[in-house]
Amino acid sequence: MTAVLETRNLVKRFGSFTAVDDVNYLVGPGEVVGLLGANGAGKTTTIRMLAGLLNPTGGQALLLGGIPDRSARRRLGYVPQGLGLYADLTVEQNLAFTAEAFGVSSSGLPSSLAGAADRLVSDIPLGLQRQLAFMGALQHAPDVLILDEPTSGVEPLGAARLWDRIRSEAEGGAGVLVSTHSMDEAIQCDRLLMMAQGRIVAEGTERQIVGDTTAVEVATDTWQEAFSVLAHSGFVVTLAGRKVRVVDASPGAVRTSLDDHDISATVTEAPATLEETMALIAQP
Amino acid sequence: MRAMILKEFRELRRDKRTMAMLIVLPILLLVVFGYAANFNVDTIRTAVVGPSADQVAEQLPDLFEVTINEPDETTDYLTDLLVAGTVSAGLDTTTQPPTVYVDGSNLFTAQPVVSATNALGDAVDVEVLFNPDLTTSWVLVPPLTGLILMFIGVVITAIGLVRERENGTLEQLAVMPLRPSTVILGKITPYFILAAVDMVIVTILGITLFDVPFNGNVGLFAAGAALFLFVVLGLGVLISTVSQNAGQAIQMALMVLLPQILLSGMIFPLDAIPWGVRWISYLLPLTYYTELSIGVMLRGAGIEALMIPFIILVVMAAFIFSAAVLRFRKDLAPSAAKAAS
Repeated sequence: MTAVLETRNLVKRFGSFTAVDDVNYLVGPGEVVGLLGANGAGKTTTIRMLAGLLNPTGGQALLLGGIPDRSARRRLGYVPQGLGLYADLTVEQNLAFTAEAFGVSSSGLPSSLAGAADRLVSDIPLGLQRQLAFMGALQHAPDVLILDEPTSGVEPLGAARLWDRIRSEAEGGAGVLVSTHSMDEAIQCDRLLMMAQGRIVAEGTERQIVGDTTAVEVATDTWQEAFSVLAHSGFVVTLAGRKVRVVDASPGAVRTSLDDHDISATVTEAPATLEETMALIAQP
Repeated sequence: MRAMILKEFRELRRDKRTMAMLIVLPILLLVVFGYAANFNVDTIRTAVVGPSADQVAEQLPDLFEVTINEPDETTDYLTDLLVAGTVSAGLDTTTQPPTVYVDGSNLFTAQPVVSATNALGDAVDVEVLFNPDLTTSWVLVPPLTGLILMFIGVVITAIGLVRERENGTLEQLAVMPLRPSTVILGKITPYFILAAVDMVIVTILGITLFDVPFNGNVGLFAAGAALFLFVVLGLGVLISTVSQNAGQAIQMALMVLLPQILLSGMIFPLDAIPWGVRWISYLLPLTYYTELSIGVMLRGAGIEALMIPFIILVVMAAFIFSAAVLRFRKDLAPSAAKAAS
């Protein structure tokens, strides 16, 4: 399998700050890979190097097996977080411009955008703008798609439509790299790469990454106090509604800590979520 | 309110460009423009022709610096020198009494010559060429067309490109399979066309509203103006590459434009500016456009006479445009730039 995207010992430094630190991964054709991490983890810097927008400080960022030059970019579909649309052009004019830049004929508008063909991009909702950016990136039938937070700010139905399209592109053979910090987006991916402090800290499917990691769920009326006590005791603590969840801890240890502070609570063990595992792995 | 004032000072301290504009620039401008702001020309380059050239050259007041003394030459030779701008005054001793020809397109040089020769009474005749009534608007309108175009061209080009960066569309252009030169030319061509149309309108308006004559070749003027526009748009692109937003682009554009107004010879004659400051004038594109536009429009000068400003504008256009393209290319396609190097 030839990788459509590959990083080899990729490093990017901005002055003394290392944004991407020795990152290695592959994205194959037909794969949807999620690049997961909190803001500042190094996701966007990595994909900007893969798209040829930034030079690496060290290592290599390879697009379709080579440096991301013009011929490689001809086969790339890229949707940045900011969408890169011309706000003063209409929906149709934006699509026509992208099609001409790639030397293809405009693919026409999907039904969801057809009604907005003559509207200025600045006048349509964010969900439609994302769909438009996505359409623009797909017009030339790219072999590789790089999507930065593709469904951020999109209502659930619109997000489902976009994911449906991403899936069908992957089934058509395109390799897709989705950068996201949203768990909803992450669970749509075939494989995940988890980044923290510029490094890949975990890799695999959601099930593989979560593995046997468990969380202890604490149900109590004094959940705020429980949260504070457990956090100060050095546990990795998250909140699910009014329930406190402690990642990768034994129920006994949690119980002891709560008893020490006279907090009455029900303590149960459950499998950890992907988000909780991410919080655990991302611990400095 | 105290918090607001403190916040403002803290922000300003970190905004080095604004701080430079607030502190360094006023001092620099005062010093530079203080020296430049001088209408008084001490010496006037003068040519003397005709049989009595040697004798008359000896007797001329100090104001006249005789740079050419040709006893065997004629009136035509003298007027050619004036058309070319080689000298600002010419004394023709082939006539009786001798005639002093003055270049009226050089207002602040012409005025003292006229005063000095009038003081000689009937001993000499005075003829002011190109601008007989020494009308100020005649000498100001030609370079003004350049200044206006420079202001509009630099600002609009810089803002147009910075807006692409601000909106993130520059990044989108960078990942498209477009050559950087295609992006730059595609971006600049509309501005070039609009600026050229603007140039035509402004020039026609200047001629009709202020009765400025157009004595030279329109094609020559158009070629010079086109070269100047290349320089202007190149400056706009350069400014855009060092500006993160429209505000910074306008700040930079003002810093570039202000010296052009005061040091290009448009307002203060270059001969009156001390050399300590005058060298800056020779680095400014508007200086050469001023020479070209006045030369063509008022003096009817041809390409031979205007070869130097033409060549300098060609060099400036090539240099500034290349620098702009290279910097822009670095912004647009860092990987390609690295691969090429």
